[in-house]
Amino acid sequence: MRMVNFRLSYNARRVALALTVILVLGFLLLPGQLQTVFHAVGSPFGWIISWPLQAVAGIHDRIAGVWGQYVALQGVEEENRHLRRELDLLKEQNAQLRESAAATERLAALLEFKQQALPTLVAAQVIGRDTGNWYKTIILNKGMSDGLQSDQGVITPAGVVGRIVKTTSSTSVVLLLTDPNNAIAGLIQRTRDEGIVEGTTHGTAQLKYIPLLSDARPGDRVVTSGLVGGFPRGLAIGTITRIDKEDEALFQSAELVPEVDPNHVEEVLVILPTSFPTEGERLGAPKTKR
Amino acid sequence: MKTLLYIALIAGITSIQSVLLPHVSLWGVKPDLGFVAICLIGLFGGELEGLLFGLALGWAMSLFSAQDLLSAAIVKGGVGFIAGLAGRQVAYLSPLVLVLGLLVISCLVGLITPFVLRLSVQQNVWWALWTVVLPQAALDAIIGGSVYWLINSYFNLEQWVSEYRI
Repeated sequence: MRMVNFRLSYNARRVALALTVILVLGFLLLPGQLQTVFHAVGSPFGWIISWPLQAVAGIHDRIAGVWGQYVALQGVEEENRHLRRELDLLKEQNAQLRESAAATERLAALLEFKQQALPTLVAAQVIGRDTGNWYKTIILNKGMSDGLQSDQGVITPAGVVGRIVKTTSSTSVVLLLTDPNNAIAGLIQRTRDEGIVEGTTHGTAQLKYIPLLSDARPGDRVVTSGLVGGFPRGLAIGTITRIDKEDEALFQSAELVPEVDPNHVEEVLVILPTSFPTEGERLGAPKTKR
Repeated sequence: MKTLLYIALIAGITSIQSVLLPHVSLWGVKPDLGFVAICLIGLFGGELEGLLFGLALGWAMSLFSAQDLLSAAIVKGGVGFIAGLAGRQVAYLSPLVLVLGLLVISCLVGLITPFVLRLSVQQNVWWALWTVVLPQAALDAIIGGSVYWLINSYFNLEQWVSEYRI
């Protein structure tokens, strides 16, 4: 097999350079749909790179494991991890119970109760983080071959982590809830006011577009509204720590502390699409008769 | 052989950048090893090599980032091309000059990137400058200078460049 030889004559180098620049400029002018073709071409390459990436992640995990279990405080970390998991489970249980209680109060008298189906979840491990400094993302060890796609929601038992924005055949990139470029439809659990949850540059999140008449206050819990994008209703997002109400503003906003600390996430669950009912199905919208 | 070396370099840099560097970040910012590698390859390999390596590395790194493929490849390819042009104009490169050069180019690229990416309104130019651009440029310059000093200590770079580049 003949390898590409970079030792070209001066003129050949100039011609090659000119051709490359023309190709790059052509690439710039391509419509977005065609650029997705290039991303699809990159998927097998991503699969190849995912091997050294997973190898490095594996070595890193081993070293971190040895350090955590033997060098640093023996046994304490394991106990702490166990307690954290238990706490996460209890938080999730608590959020679900609160949501169920609120939903029952509102709907029991009006509608025939329909049990919310549990979504199908795929477990994945965090193997890395964004290669740049501009976005807050995590990289998962599962990809298209496991049924993962863009816009699927990612959670832990404690609450929402983020949303998948990119996949290769064996990895996925998850844009975290705390990234300012992320937006998730949220709902204040007590007042039932809806808004949009966005990340901030400080590593927290904010709930925007809360109605002016809402009596939301610090301590209120915010959950997913289930209206759009990858998440069923009632998953914990965070707790309000401050309400911002500006003069002559049309809406209020609130600062949130996320339920999940995205810097310490190790395992996550990905919500597969169409595995949970839409709001219409959940509320029992009448079906068309044949 | 060289192509294989570059492919291995791309795979290695992407893995280290994604897995290990987040643990050694300063002020929440990690250095861009890809940027350093592209600058060094452009400086010593010429415009074409810098451009091609930059495009390939930008593409590979974009697969493990929320950054879109186009901006990542174009920005990194552009850096390689500029480094190649700069390398042709410089007869002797001291580590100090390289550090200053990396600092300036990293700052310029960092200031352009938020506009290319069309980030959230919260991530304005001042935020970018103080929280990402300057710390990253400082880290890139230190790492690039150190790598160059190490290579220069063990290899005769001037002879290699004069033989290799036309």
